[in-house]
Amino acid sequence: MESPLTVGKKQVLTKAERRNELWRKIKKNKWIYLMIAPGILYFFVYKYIPMYGLIIAFQDYKPYLGITGSEWVGFDHFRRLFADPDFWMIFRNTLVLFALQVCISFPVPIILALMLNELRNRAYQRTIQTVIYIPHFMSWVVIVSISYVMLTLDGGIINNILRSLQFDQINFLLNPDWFRPMYILQIIWREAGWGTIIFLAAIVAVDPQLYEAAKIDGANRIRQMWHITLPAIRSVIIVLLILKIGDVLELGFEHVYLLLNSSNREVAEIFDTYVYTAGLRQGQFSYSTAVGFFKGIVGLILVVFANWLAKKYGEEGIY
Amino acid sequence: MKKWKQWHKITAIGVGLVALTGCNGNENNESASSSGDAIDDGSPVEFSIMANLHTAEVPDKKVQTLLEEATNTKLDIQWVPDSNYEERLNTAFATGSLPQAVYMKNQTTYEQFKDAIRDDQFWELGPYLDEFENLKNLKPEVVENTMVDGKMYALYQGRPLARSGLIYRKDWADNLGIDAPTNVEEFMEMARAFTEDDPDGNGKDDTFGLTDRNDLVYGAFKSVASWFGTPNGWGEQDGELLPEFMFDEYIDTLDYLKELHENGYMNQDFPVTSKPDQQALLKNGTAGMYVGSMGDVVSLYADASQNNPDLEFDVHNYVEGPDGEYNIWAIPGYGNLVIFPKSSVETEEELKGILSFYNQMMEPDNANLIFWGVEGEHYDVEEDQAVAIEDTQKTDREVKPYQSIEIGEAETNGRYLGKSNYEAKTKADELEIDNESYLVHDPTITLDSPTMQTHGERLQQIINDATYQYILGQTDLEGFEKAIETWKTQGGEDVINEINESYEQQ
Repeated sequence: MESPLTVGKKQVLTKAERRNELWRKIKKNKWIYLMIAPGILYFFVYKYIPMYGLIIAFQDYKPYLGITGSEWVGFDHFRRLFADPDFWMIFRNTLVLFALQVCISFPVPIILALMLNELRNRAYQRTIQTVIYIPHFMSWVVIVSISYVMLTLDGGIINNILRSLQFDQINFLLNPDWFRPMYILQIIWREAGWGTIIFLAAIVAVDPQLYEAAKIDGANRIRQMWHITLPAIRSVIIVLLILKIGDVLELGFEHVYLLLNSSNREVAEIFDTYVYTAGLRQGQFSYSTAVGFFKGIVGLILVVFANWLAKKYGEEGIY
Repeated sequence: MKKWKQWHKITAIGVGLVALTGCNGNENNESASSSGDAIDDGSPVEFSIMANLHTAEVPDKKVQTLLEEATNTKLDIQWVPDSNYEERLNTAFATGSLPQAVYMKNQTTYEQFKDAIRDDQFWELGPYLDEFENLKNLKPEVVENTMVDGKMYALYQGRPLARSGLIYRKDWADNLGIDAPTNVEEFMEMARAFTEDDPDGNGKDDTFGLTDRNDLVYGAFKSVASWFGTPNGWGEQDGELLPEFMFDEYIDTLDYLKELHENGYMNQDFPVTSKPDQQALLKNGTAGMYVGSMGDVVSLYADASQNNPDLEFDVHNYVEGPDGEYNIWAIPGYGNLVIFPKSSVETEEELKGILSFYNQMMEPDNANLIFWGVEGEHYDVEEDQAVAIEDTQKTDREVKPYQSIEIGEAETNGRYLGKSNYEAKTKADELEIDNESYLVHDPTITLDSPTMQTHGERLQQIINDATYQYILGQTDLEGFEKAIETWKTQGGEDVINEINESYEQQ
């Protein structure tokens, strides 16, 4: 047993001492640890244990043989995925839709929140806020159906109006060029109001004295927004953006699947819909799992990268 | 860093805890095992069934109770909505919790289970058939269509071979003085007249001919393709089986529908039209022609006559192609099937008990009970035929769900044929029988292709997409041929070879 080295004033502890130290700390704060136990347990049981199932991505999984009895096939399923001629198309579509979400539908709630914040009349502001977040509680089926009824060529309202104004009718549903605008507009319509809640909460927390000081310095409302409100909620925006990036490949299966048809597949097929047709409908659990696994890895890489970027520019990040 | 290390330890403790609480994933589901052979001790046979539910609500128990009394059984029926049946079936299979009698919903799902059937996960029924005099009577030609490697594993639920035809607005046709179309030119002419000649006489341009939906099989496409002489799924050319879309007749069908679509004689958005929306266009007087199951005319009329009591429907089947012949595609003679997993039916005795129940289900009294309900309450008998009561809500709630556990068909289980007071329905039933003289069968029903089982959905999608795009004018013949090439390179070539190998072995 060597004597503990001293570096400056700080003692470097041996392993055993460190362990004792840790136990002492745990004992000291046992109630706090007890409080977080349910949370840790929850994540373990529902988030970590199911990961055991990822094993089947490397097997030719047969339900009646189970994970222990199925044959190992190594990276065969991944090979099949990368060899699929549609792979790059799906990858591209997924990234394009993701980019559209980050660039277009992500900033909308921020802008809305800033605008709502400028309203003097609180009651009026509340009413507007409630009205715009109601669509969040509708399912995609309802939203897509409403869009269909409005946009169809067979008696849809929009096309009827176009016709009565002597314009050409527009084929919204079966034209690949219209898929992305429809997708993004529907997301904005459903989620923008709901997204304002967090940003408004962050704005409310800004110290009023800052605004008063700015007013004395002669800043108008636009200036106040630019120099005080926005910097104050910057970290919230960044954290939410990183979380959003983590969902890069979770574009909402249901929404895309409902909009998908034979005419727009080249721009609308994404990983989720691909898994559904190629995997689940044919009962190919292993292949579906492999594709899901791949998605998860890509998501992880992007989050780590985004977080690193945020840290580099002196922001908080998420860990 | 140090902080992180601490966390590391804590989570390790967490893992330990979880491990202690124990996740014994491999506990076998205690399925209610039957009390062995019913014939021995007279106590009822107990077993569970999973079946698809076509109505919105779980049925009233009355019919089930009567059936249990008649067959000396105790049934635990798990009803699963038809719309997400495949999902539930796959889940139950994946978690090893299949009940003792599992309905397959349709041929496609059954196809997926063939792998597991080959791996000896389900009971082979052939050897026991002789002990059950009613099951023995199931039609051999249909049983053959359900076989896997020449062995019988399933009891089938019969379906008329070809129910497809045209349902059209008789009153519109009379207004314009046109008859039911007997060939494809007349069909096109009817669609034109219904679009351009103001068939409802309201002076507005608000009608069109055909209403179709996003389904190339049960929608209009496959039936129209049959009229043109396209093979059913696969056809023979120079001694080799080839998929239907490699035949000229398929292209003729594409051109024909393209013309219908381009001229506005059918709904422009049909590739994204759902069945309810498609039917709504017919019911609300926008469209006048519907190609599909002719028997649907009953429910279509029931709804449509509510907002327009003067409307008249008629049904028609015989439409000649350019070659002067009428053909119609046939299904393999069954809709649903039931199979018995070895994981839940553990002994031969147990299986025999369950088979004995199905044997009794094929006696006329029981077959009538689950199909028509209770005589005098749900139906009356006229001239040896069943006439259902007017109150469809009552029959939907109490009887209709049980129709999905029927085995065999009227011919083999002796139940009454139906009689309708609605003329068009009676005619539809007659035309279904008439169709049987013009059937085109799918030669690959009993053939196997492993590639098809793995890649079938995606391959079919390539062709379906190209088919829709051609009709919409978004691609041309060259584009369609390119799609066929893509289909070939992505596994289609293997499918053709496998199918033909399997064909030669038969």
